[in-house]
Amino acid sequence: MIKKFDKKDEESGSGSNPFQHLEKSAVLQEARIFNETPINPRKCLHILTKIIYLLNQGEHFGTTEATEAFFAMTRLFQSNDQTLRRMCYLTIKEMANISEDVIIVTSSLTKDMTGKEDVYRGPAIRALCRITDTTMLQAIERYMKQAIVDKVPSVSSSALVSSLHMVKMSFDVVKRWVNEAQEAASSDNIMVQYHALGLLYHLRKNDRLAVTKMLNKFTKSGLKSPFAYCMMIRIASKLLEETEGGHDSPLFDFIESCLRNKHEMVVYEAASAIVHMPKCTARELAPAVSVLQLFCSSPKAALRYAAVRTLNKVAMKHPSAVTACNLDLENLITDSNRSIATLAITTLLKTGSESSVDRLMKQISSFVSEISDEFKVVVVQAISALCQKYPRKHGVMMNFLSNMLRDDGGFEYKRAIVDCIISIIEDNLETKETGLAHLCEFIEDCEHTVLATKILHLLGKEGPRTPTPSKYIRFIFNRVVLESEAVRAAAISALAKFGAQNDDLLPSVLVLMQRCMMDSDDEVRDRATFYVNVLLQKQKALNAGYILNGLSVSVPGLERSLHQYTLEPSEKGFDMKTVPLATAPITEQKTEITPVATSKLPEKLSPSRQVIYQEQLAAIPEFQGLGPLFKSSEPVQLTEAETEYVVRCIKHTFANHMIFQFDCTNTLNDQLLQRVMVQMEPSEAYEVLHYVPAASLYYSQPGSCYCLVRLPEDDPTAVSCTFSCTMKYLVRDCDPNTGEPDDDGYDDEYVLEDLEVTVADHIQKVLKPNFGAAWEEVGDEFEKEETFALATVRTLEEAVNNIISFLGMQPCERSDKVPESKNSHVLFLAGVFRGGHDVLVRSRLALADGVTMQVTVRSSDENVVDVILASVG
Amino acid sequence: MGLFDKLTSWLGLKKKEVNVLCLGLDNSGKTTIINQLKPSNAQAQDIVPTIGFSIEKFKSSGLSFTVFDMSGQGRYRNLWEHYYKDGHAIIYVIDSGDKLRMVVAKDELDTLLNHPDIKHRRIPILFFANKMDLRDALSAVTVSQLLCLENIKDKPWHICASDAVKGEGLQEGVEWLQDQIRAMKT
Repeated sequence: MIKKFDKKDEESGSGSNPFQHLEKSAVLQEARIFNETPINPRKCLHILTKIIYLLNQGEHFGTTEATEAFFAMTRLFQSNDQTLRRMCYLTIKEMANISEDVIIVTSSLTKDMTGKEDVYRGPAIRALCRITDTTMLQAIERYMKQAIVDKVPSVSSSALVSSLHMVKMSFDVVKRWVNEAQEAASSDNIMVQYHALGLLYHLRKNDRLAVTKMLNKFTKSGLKSPFAYCMMIRIASKLLEETEGGHDSPLFDFIESCLRNKHEMVVYEAASAIVHMPKCTARELAPAVSVLQLFCSSPKAALRYAAVRTLNKVAMKHPSAVTACNLDLENLITDSNRSIATLAITTLLKTGSESSVDRLMKQISSFVSEISDEFKVVVVQAISALCQKYPRKHGVMMNFLSNMLRDDGGFEYKRAIVDCIISIIEDNLETKETGLAHLCEFIEDCEHTVLATKILHLLGKEGPRTPTPSKYIRFIFNRVVLESEAVRAAAISALAKFGAQNDDLLPSVLVLMQRCMMDSDDEVRDRATFYVNVLLQKQKALNAGYILNGLSVSVPGLERSLHQYTLEPSEKGFDMKTVPLATAPITEQKTEITPVATSKLPEKLSPSRQVIYQEQLAAIPEFQGLGPLFKSSEPVQLTEAETEYVVRCIKHTFANHMIFQFDCTNTLNDQLLQRVMVQMEPSEAYEVLHYVPAASLYYSQPGSCYCLVRLPEDDPTAVSCTFSCTMKYLVRDCDPNTGEPDDDGYDDEYVLEDLEVTVADHIQKVLKPNFGAAWEEVGDEFEKEETFALATVRTLEEAVNNIISFLGMQPCERSDKVPESKNSHVLFLAGVFRGGHDVLVRSRLALADGVTMQVTVRSSDENVVDVILASVG
Repeated sequence: MGLFDKLTSWLGLKKKEVNVLCLGLDNSGKTTIINQLKPSNAQAQDIVPTIGFSIEKFKSSGLSFTVFDMSGQGRYRNLWEHYYKDGHAIIYVIDSGDKLRMVVAKDELDTLLNHPDIKHRRIPILFFANKMDLRDALSAVTVSQLLCLENIKDKPWHICASDAVKGEGLQEGVEWLQDQIRAMKT
């Protein structure tokens, strides 16, 4: 039957799949043939293949039908046909989780595993371990131990690998097989030795001391298997990383000695391990790099590839170390394998001097059309890095990038180029005009909606501030005429920004926008109508609030709040201040926010961390009526990392209250803690209202207890406070093995580190894309200004970072990056203070002897201004 | 069946194949009996409790037997029924030294006999009153009375006392079974 299929297959020639149109029910019907005697191995084999094929295609088998098919299959153990038997093993493994009572084959498998047929033994062990659970494992333990030390390598390897899988399930049983594994580790067979080492490591990986001992033992006795050596190198480098051991440790010596191993695999592994170590000095790097250099001229393409890829990575951190290989890398540029050539060039771009850039760029452009998109992205990334290193070369790069932009390529590739151009523009003001011009040209013929909207957003942000904004209007309006809804909507938003910032363009922008008010798409029409009306008001504050700086609330949060509002209608209007603010993600450097209303969002926004907290807290009755959650801090550790109890605290800020959430973990397996609470003693006029204890804390299962604190109302400037914390609980000793606690316990307490509440806990970060407009919007009603001298700070960068982390506000307009070799800088910070008041801080920094700082604060509330100034001083 | 198979069976060279289920409570000696019936070079040295089932083969003078040696432990007994359809004959083993669980053995037997796959078939059942070497072992007659074997009217059955460790009484039982199967087939 199979033969017939083969023939038909060959005739059709197209390699069509004989299993293409299988019906599950038909196959299961056919499986009845298993019940016939005598067994026809060929037919059965074919049906088993069909079943396995279906399973692997993701076909769902119900428990009943799977069990029926499985039991029918068990009858095939009658046959002595080797192929059929091995197919049975495969089927058992595939069906182990979907059929019931799979343990029925246990005896049949143990018989095969201890039998005389070596072909059966390995596969039988693997199948057996798939169907065995912890309770049954003891029954086969004896056989497993024997199999591990079996003299047939395939049997021993199978047993070792299966044991490794069993470790996850029943660690304690497998742990007893260490002696056998130890014996297997001295086997002559390279695979057995490798697998044994793997098992030994996984049994001990939680015990650093034991791992170290094991490594010592094997480094002394030496191993035969190159695979095992690679594994040892990985273990050793992981251990080095964990212990932060210096490079004089014996582990490092071992890795270095592997550089002289006779197997290329081991040598490469060692070199790669050294290269990837953090804090590696140039001297330690040198031998690894020279080994990689040697590989660069190897006749094996795989080795050349591995070497140049690793060198490429080193070049990021230690360009000087790789310089020695430049000559070899130059030779690889003309390598027939394009992947190798690309990596060689990009490495050279990182290590080469400024003068060689032009030559290399020319070389890449000669074959850039021949390499795959994936490597084109690598090239673009290299160029991006290069631009940061040699800003003066931007002319060449920009030209090159625009050429690449014109070529064909997939989305990822185009996106990398666009990102690269955008980052060049942001880092280097001179390039802004050329960069924007290239991007404008690109969107004239761009099939990727995401990229088009992104570029339009950028044009809206940057365009109005260029000397001749009018020249971008044409490009933008072309989009309105020609493109899909999402792009049209983005174009409208960009146009509105021009109108808001350039008074002389306003009349023409209005004319253009009025045309769009007839658009066929709702979103486009709505936006146009909205913007036209806002612009017609000609008020700076409105422009700033609704056009230049968008909503600062989190979108899922807004959705929830609105939903809630519609469920419980009230007389009052909907208050935007009750909506949680958008948090951190926008701070990432590279990501630009695409306009929110591209008609479909790429994926559903997952509820933020804050929303999760809000729901958790709302579920506790004591915390009702506190209003919406304003901000949740990052967890603060209140204990050392490796103590009896691990406690970390998350500070949740509400309009007038704070909740401290203590996540406690009990790391003692002989104790059960009950009624756990953290007692807090405030240093200021903070009032502790309520404690919510955690009922019981089992070994290694984290639990939370809470403390509710009222913020002082009469003194709104008291924002910082120190709490001394003590954890109190009832201890009940228990049996470490069963977890059964004693009947009676005793009270105990544990002193935690002090918890600080600072001004940053009261302020939520908000990104204002256009700080100037926001600054005008808030107005100077409550403006205050003060000058400070920061004597201890040495650089502007340090000062900027200190201020940002102290105030916990969002730097705007990329003012957090201090240009090099300047001695003055302006930092713009934006945030929202608890209670929903916008706060803006402008701080001018000057570097003299230390840093002098002039801080100007604006807010919609006077108290807030005072709080900020008081806390800075 | 291929042409060659037909030819050999017609010539009587190839032995007829029959499937036999071996049932009974745990520790009654099922695996030991099957082990004894196997050719001496294929016999296992030590017998461990069966988990699930195992398939064994042996030949008698005229037939080739494939035995489904089922596990007798309580939690696996409900798996027996998956194989009832396959059996051409049943071997039911009783530990004649275990008076206490004789009722359990009877219970399992009744369930077996009333199962739809068995009830209406004229399937031969061979009982082994095993472990007769034990001093306080019940005789085959007592066992048959305790199990109410006389009530089985529609199936041929036979009970014989056996000692699986020494192999006594086994051959007699197998010969009876062989005759029954021959009679049924012709």
